[in-house]
Amino acid sequence: MQSRWDIGQPEKPTLNSDTEQLKSELLTLNMGPQHPATHGVLRIEIWTDSEIVAHAIPHLGYLHRSMEKHAENLDFRGVIPFVDRLDYLASMNMEWTYAMTIEKMLGTEVPRRAELLRILTGELQRIASHLMAFGTYALDLGAFSPFLYAFDYREKILRLFEEVSGARLLYNYIWIGGLWNDWTDEQLTRVGVFCDEMEEEAKKYHELVSMNRIFVERTANVGIMNIQDCLDFGASGPVLRGAGMKWDLRKNAPYSLYNEFDFDVPVGTGEVGQVGDCWNRYIVRMKEVGESIKIIRQVLEKLEPGPIMGKVPKVMKLPAGEVYVRAECPRGELAFHLVAKADEKTPYRLKVKSPCFTHTSMLPRVAPGQMIADFVATVGSIDIVLGEVDR
Amino acid sequence: MHKELADLINKNVAGANAIAFIAADNKTDSSITVEASHLFKVVEFLKTNNVTSFNSLHVISGVDYVEYMEVCYMLTNYDPANIRDLILKVKITDRVNGHVDSIVKLFAAANFQEREVYDMFGIKFNNHPDLRRILCPDDWEGFPLRKDYIAQKVYNGMNVFPDDKMNMEDREFIVRQEMIKKAQETKAQ
Repeated sequence: MQSRWDIGQPEKPTLNSDTEQLKSELLTLNMGPQHPATHGVLRIEIWTDSEIVAHAIPHLGYLHRSMEKHAENLDFRGVIPFVDRLDYLASMNMEWTYAMTIEKMLGTEVPRRAELLRILTGELQRIASHLMAFGTYALDLGAFSPFLYAFDYREKILRLFEEVSGARLLYNYIWIGGLWNDWTDEQLTRVGVFCDEMEEEAKKYHELVSMNRIFVERTANVGIMNIQDCLDFGASGPVLRGAGMKWDLRKNAPYSLYNEFDFDVPVGTGEVGQVGDCWNRYIVRMKEVGESIKIIRQVLEKLEPGPIMGKVPKVMKLPAGEVYVRAECPRGELAFHLVAKADEKTPYRLKVKSPCFTHTSMLPRVAPGQMIADFVATVGSIDIVLGEVDR
Repeated sequence: MHKELADLINKNVAGANAIAFIAADNKTDSSITVEASHLFKVVEFLKTNNVTSFNSLHVISGVDYVEYMEVCYMLTNYDPANIRDLILKVKITDRVNGHVDSIVKLFAAANFQEREVYDMFGIKFNNHPDLRRILCPDDWEGFPLRKDYIAQKVYNGMNVFPDDKMNMEDREFIVRQEMIKKAQETKAQ
């Protein structure tokens, strides 16, 4: 009989050798659902042996809004606002992936300017999302001021998005076939100015946090997820790259116009700690901010006036069949599995492959043997958004 | 690619009965359907053989086609030199006791993914180490993503689905389309 915490590779709970003589019992502790370090409403049942975590069992579903069921009753355009609410810190990337899914089935050609502006918004959103991850991660580890610095600069991106889409968080901006609204030249100039400022600011973050002695002590060699674990669990994004694997869909299977752009894929190198630990996952995110700035600058050079909406039928009907479309989002690979039936105006089935869901399932693998405080650092370092985990 | 792969599966796993579905154009994706009883062996073969190895499981998705249900396994290869994706499907006709072998032993990713398919479609996974509901509460009734699902009215003494719920009709797309049509007709008159 296999035990309930067994996740494929059986590992029996081992007690600390010192405490074993005292015949200590495992104590069950609930971390969450309102724990500030869980970034939402995640409950993790921890079995502790004094300060050591023997097992961690994630309990999901506190934010389950049955989005996949709702999508079956909405027309293809109507799903976009729901998709926004999956990963509410990276709504632009969510919308973009969904739009790509429908466009693949429709065979729509998106105008060049729209594609470039999608890349621009997508990369700005990536910076905003990584800034949020940076700020809250430092907050998890007890440093308050990086949070304020990060929010200051995230705010600048949100202001730009607010001007162009009318909303600060949930945009409904990227539509099927193109974009809802065009950027003015004045706004694009400000994006350029923001890139220059952000580059300087990122250096400040590195000085403030990355090599900070306390931060390094808390994160280096903690929560190691090696490549084999990552492949076993299907991890992607900064978690996989932090483990040292050079894998980025934007580079390896380019979608949109990413093949025209020149940028690097940062991976964890283990300059501090070892490859696959919390520090390496953190530094991959911080380096990606720099790469995103590179891409945005190239977009600004390439942009030319033109239409921003392709030809899309008024009543959208897709061919019968299914598609599985993947895209690189700030937290990993997002994918939609869409099944459509001929002459139906609604998706027959829309399955969301959420990177955060996958990464949450890795927690039982890394938790055993960690201190509780280190476990908090591990949960923070995979940067989950519960809206996407629970859908 | 799918046709050769299906032949390869048939050659190496006896009784797998792999059938490749080739999409007519590049608007939709191709897939391979195998027998539910041989799923474990097929995935094991796909993972371990050197010619067409798939080293990661991306997601498991379920689809309810009313006459039968499908479990789709999205396999992928994280290797920059040989990128390949595969949609592997099994068909399940039994709506009451539908079951398929768990592949947790091959891919740890399957643990949570299979739990979600069980939660949403009621398909059981044999030999799964911890087959509980994952997104819905443990005592929830019914399987929400089935097409014939009716939401329960009372849960733990709470009225979770009241009759007088606001905009109840709006939630049904077809109903809404009829309302729009009616409004247009009255406007035309």
